[in-house]
Amino acid sequence: MAEQETDKGRRCMLVAASTVAGGIAVGVTAVPFVASMLPSERAKAAGAPVEADIGKLAPGERMTVEWRGKPVWIVRRTPEMLDSIKQSVDKVADPDSNKAMQPRYAANEFRSIKPEYLVLVGICTHLGCSPVDRFAAQAEAFAADWKGGFYCPCHGSLFDLAGRVFKNRPAPDNLIVPPHTFLSDTKILIGVDQGAEGAKGAA
Amino acid sequence: MIKKIIAVLLLAPALAFAAGSDVPLDRAPINPNDMPSLQRGAALFVNYCLNCHSANYMRYNRLTDLGLNEKEILDNFVARFSGGKVGDLMKITMDLEDAKTWFGAAPPDLTVIARSRSSHAGSGADWLYTYMRGFYRDGSRPTGWNNVAFPNVGMPHVLWGLQGEQELKPAQRRAEGYMATVEKPVLTKPGKLSPLEYDRAVADLVNYLVYMAEPAAQSRKTIGMLVLAFLTGLIFLVYAMKKSYWKDVH
Amino acid sequence: MTMAATKKEPVVIEGAGALNTPLSGLLTWVDQRFPLMSLWKDHLAEYYAPKNFNFWYYFGLLAMLILVLQIVTGIFLVMHYKPSAAEAFASVEYIMRDVPGGWLIRYMHSTGASAFFVVIYLHMFRGLMYGSYRAPRELVWIFGMIIYLCLMAEAFFGYLLPWGQMSYWGAQVIINLFDALPIIGPDLSTWIRGDFVVGDATLNRFFAFHVIAIPLALLALVGAHIMALHEVGSNNPDGVEIKENKNAAGKPVDGIPFHPYYTVKDSLGVVVFAFLFCMVMFFAPEMGGYFLEYNNFIPADPLKTPPHIAPVWYFTPYYSILRAVTEDFMFWLALGVAAYATLIVFTSRGCLSKILAVLIAPVVIFLMKGVGFGMTFTLFRGTFLEITLPLEAKVWGVILMGLATLIFFLLPWLDKSPVKSIRYKGVLSRWALTIFVAVFLILGYYGTQPVTDLGTLISQIGTLLYFAFFLLMPWYTQMEQTRPVPSRVTM
Repeated sequence: MAEQETDKGRRCMLVAASTVAGGIAVGVTAVPFVASMLPSERAKAAGAPVEADIGKLAPGERMTVEWRGKPVWIVRRTPEMLDSIKQSVDKVADPDSNKAMQPRYAANEFRSIKPEYLVLVGICTHLGCSPVDRFAAQAEAFAADWKGGFYCPCHGSLFDLAGRVFKNRPAPDNLIVPPHTFLSDTKILIGVDQGAEGAKGAA
Repeated sequence: MIKKIIAVLLLAPALAFAAGSDVPLDRAPINPNDMPSLQRGAALFVNYCLNCHSANYMRYNRLTDLGLNEKEILDNFVARFSGGKVGDLMKITMDLEDAKTWFGAAPPDLTVIARSRSSHAGSGADWLYTYMRGFYRDGSRPTGWNNVAFPNVGMPHVLWGLQGEQELKPAQRRAEGYMATVEKPVLTKPGKLSPLEYDRAVADLVNYLVYMAEPAAQSRKTIGMLVLAFLTGLIFLVYAMKKSYWKDVH
Repeated sequence: MTMAATKKEPVVIEGAGALNTPLSGLLTWVDQRFPLMSLWKDHLAEYYAPKNFNFWYYFGLLAMLILVLQIVTGIFLVMHYKPSAAEAFASVEYIMRDVPGGWLIRYMHSTGASAFFVVIYLHMFRGLMYGSYRAPRELVWIFGMIIYLCLMAEAFFGYLLPWGQMSYWGAQVIINLFDALPIIGPDLSTWIRGDFVVGDATLNRFFAFHVIAIPLALLALVGAHIMALHEVGSNNPDGVEIKENKNAAGKPVDGIPFHPYYTVKDSLGVVVFAFLFCMVMFFAPEMGGYFLEYNNFIPADPLKTPPHIAPVWYFTPYYSILRAVTEDFMFWLALGVAAYATLIVFTSRGCLSKILAVLIAPVVIFLMKGVGFGMTFTLFRGTFLEITLPLEAKVWGVILMGLATLIFFLLPWLDKSPVKSIRYKGVLSRWALTIFVAVFLILGYYGTQPVTDLGTLISQIGTLLYFAFFLLMPWYTQMEQTRPVPSRVTM
């Protein structure tokens, strides 16, 4: 009887140990399967940092480059445009850029490294449409006292010239500022953080 | 159609003979853990092979496996082609149709050449090592070159400047315990490298080609050792469990 | 009105500690709506298996394990693979290089394919050895054989997908076998390819069969195989029916519950198998060119056949039989048929079989080209039924290859021995099985080699012996002296 009891305990221990070890084996085996669904080297290569030449960008104009298959806007803002940003502070939902929709070095008044140059991912934070430019300060159908910014035609979200979303609009967040860095006064590298190691190597 | 297939099957031994796989292969002195050798091999590959041959499935930035960083790869390998990115595949711009006119056959992609050249005569590395050292002068060929491992090869001797020129001369060779007289390539005009240095350079190149054919090969073996060690332990554990239950069964 | 769930006893779990009550409650809830506990009992906890299973009884479960492995790895490979002639080869290299962990998944799948056949052949050998095909397990055997045929189709379709030289030319040769069939042959092979050569259309349909049609059929058949087995109960190395000897409680005295005894034992088998599998997968995934053929690292080239093409190793015994049937061999084949008919006429007890032998044998011999009859007839000339008789050697090669796989189905009725297991059969059966296994291996070896005169001769002898094992079975199993079968199993 006593022998049977010890056997029961021993079996229980062995089954538990085997189950745990087998579970680890299955878990580790799952790693390559889960990993295989991550972006491949090809996707990473296609999503590599993109260089933009801003030398020919005139004040008040916008250019678009493609990064990871998304449009990235670079806007060269005039002093008037910057001024409009200051005026919209009480109309936008997140004026101080508290939510992490931009790298830390762009979490400032103008949401940019240099106030003159705004870099944004041109995808509405609501449902993924690409907003259109409404840079001129004039009365618009969607806002009589429009000071200039972006307008999303899909669901009517409005953004100012720093990409900050206006209150009471469908989009919940400011437009995303992608990681970017200035290689020189006329070259921006999109996809690499300012001061990051890759900023020197990749070009 | 069947007749054609049967003809092919019947011809198979003859074709195998024609492809020269009966040439004894030299063993390639390569070491997959020798990073400097792999790096030299990669440089040779990019400088000499990658002009006509592509490596369409290999990315430049994979060379980080060989202990190079992305900046080095970009400067030394990718920068040869304008506008290249470090994540690009090793493609070439040569038109395959042109190549066919020039060499009689389009130069094959080399990404997995080391795997495809394996046979029962030896590993793909051995074949490549013999091949790259087996070019000799042959006036009857359009390129002026022939090869002991690949008779009537279409490719000229690209490493000619390094090796020099060889010619076929009768020589004694040990074969299965007796001496046979065979035609053997002999160096007649030295190149930039001594024969020893040239063999080393070819070994580096072959080392790289073997790496490129299966970049995961080294991690495969490392992971394999860990897995087998784990399973060994698990076998003992499960065996003890089985034993303890089967005490009941008489 | 309330909908009452089926009234069943509450499920009781022991040894789950504090979780006892909630777990039991949940299981009771499920069990009243789904036959959970009865499935568990019928197939595991109260499925009584003979206690004397030996080494050869691991392979059924291992085959199931590999089926699951192939399906899971297959799902993940399909996420990255491109079934198009232009992209297939590149997409496999993409998996091997660019997809994180892709090389491991691909090697699991390629090693798994060969491992599947290793395990299935051992599983079939077990059945041959211990007479597991005998009554009442004929349907278990037949379902198993259909699984084997499906598996060969699955492997054949899958082998085209990497779109290397061996993929391409292997498919080319095998599809062209259908060319040889009378009447429908040429149209049939074109229909299978969907093109005049193996091409994009062929690759796409093979992909569809490989990833959807055959796996579905395989799963259903495996279900049927196990249900049939659990209906009649497992055989064992002694060939003793354990159900014929029950104790007072109605349980077989020589049986033990599958769970926990065989679950723990099979766990050991699984772990040891995993060890061997990993040894190959991590250290020799090409297995010397047998699991991944070297020529398959060259992209398919419709204009250039590789110097030596051979099917993957698991098809090579049949491939040898195909190649063995040459014009010279037809005489010996005819002689074999005539001798077999004579044997039936003089020794068979049944009147019907004698009549059939007398009628069928001359027709078969007449249909063999180069044997006896010099004339050639073309029937239904100009119609879709046009057929030229007698049939050429290449046609007979295809016919014999097909028969070589199908003849396994007849085993339950060919074996007339009073005992099931080789342990109690006589010396003739032992020799017959030994020679059959040797012949199977030798045919397999010559199937991988280029054609030589010696190889062809050996394959021809092998072919005759292969069929003799089956066709002479009714005689040698009855002639020999068997040993007495014990009433209980032996450990």
